[in-house]
Amino acid sequence: MDKDTILKDLSDEELAADTAAGSCSSFEELISRYSPRLFYFLRHRTASDQNVEDLIQETFLKAFRNIDRFDPKRNFSTWLYTIAARQAVSLYRANKAKKPSLVPMASSQDPQEIVIQKQESQNLWILAKKLSRKEYKTLWLYYAEDMPIKNIAEIMKKKKVTVRVLLHRARINLAKKLDKSVYSESFAGENSAEHKFSFSEIGEI
Amino acid sequence: MLCSMHKWLISRAVDSKKQIPAFTKRHLGRCDSCRKFTQLCGSLKQRFAHDTTAILKGYNKAIDQKIISALPEIKESRSTLSRQGVGPNLFSKRTFLVPSLVAASLVLVISISILFLTLPRSSEVNSLANMSDLFKRAYPVRILEKAESPLEKEYTELKETIESTAKFLISRLDVRLGR
Repeated sequence: MDKDTILKDLSDEELAADTAAGSCSSFEELISRYSPRLFYFLRHRTASDQNVEDLIQETFLKAFRNIDRFDPKRNFSTWLYTIAARQAVSLYRANKAKKPSLVPMASSQDPQEIVIQKQESQNLWILAKKLSRKEYKTLWLYYAEDMPIKNIAEIMKKKKVTVRVLLHRARINLAKKLDKSVYSESFAGENSAEHKFSFSEIGEI
Repeated sequence: MLCSMHKWLISRAVDSKKQIPAFTKRHLGRCDSCRKFTQLCGSLKQRFAHDTTAILKGYNKAIDQKIISALPEIKESRSTLSRQGVGPNLFSKRTFLVPSLVAASLVLVISISILFLTLPRSSEVNSLANMSDLFKRAYPVRILEKAESPLEKEYTELKETIESTAKFLISRLDVRLGR
């Protein structure tokens, strides 16, 4: 069995313990496991791609610096997401929510690209990005990370009831947005493909 | 109003993986909006799970390489710090400044108290002596003696009474008591 296969079989907590013992390759495995998930966790409509990349980098470097402090009895994902959430809050405070410039859709686009974008627009996470930052993050942790409410509360520094309320609000708002998008889709089907769903969101991907 | 309450109960049932209350179930039979919401809540987990795998595929791995390239530098700084920082830093503000300040203030207090104890307080002694002289001059001895006379008189009277009683008892009982 080669080294990569062994690392892939190890749990997050075991990899963290290995990193603390001085193994860089274990941390690289953790990066490959968590960087895409952190990217979409931090990527909200108000955050630019550059900011998110910086945040991920900062999060991992901070985790690497403080890996000795990680208690292997705890959940590694909760620990890492807590660092990421705190980094995001400090960056948000520093930037005071600079809105990214939404890329306008070019009129002469490749038809194949349009098809890909259409498929992406049907992704529920693209719709969820239109929710508030807190609602989106709660949804991500609950559905993408499959975290219990207790851990989400720990990461977001909120009470369990608050997390439940956030989840409920997110579902309500998502249902509204889904209704709207269904309406806009049917409307666009009757008219033209270019009107269908504002592609400004897709431009962010 | 009622719908928002029922929707909250549906949401709660999904989170706690419990049954939807019976009265909400009855409401669902009548309300189309709440029925849709229940269906959405039930399907969200599956839909999000599917869409998560789809969205994660589009992730740009170049970010990982940036982070990985920065790791050796941090590892080096970490190992340097651990080599340097064995035990507490004796010259840090907390370990060095605070105890030295406490020691200095103690020395100051002790030296002041020694000075206070050893130096002759001439002015104070003189002033006390002057005070007693003044008192003696203001109140001569006679007055003082007069002030003490009732006590003195009582004492002598008591002494005489006891002596006479003793004499009486000796004469009556014929007891040879030593004086």
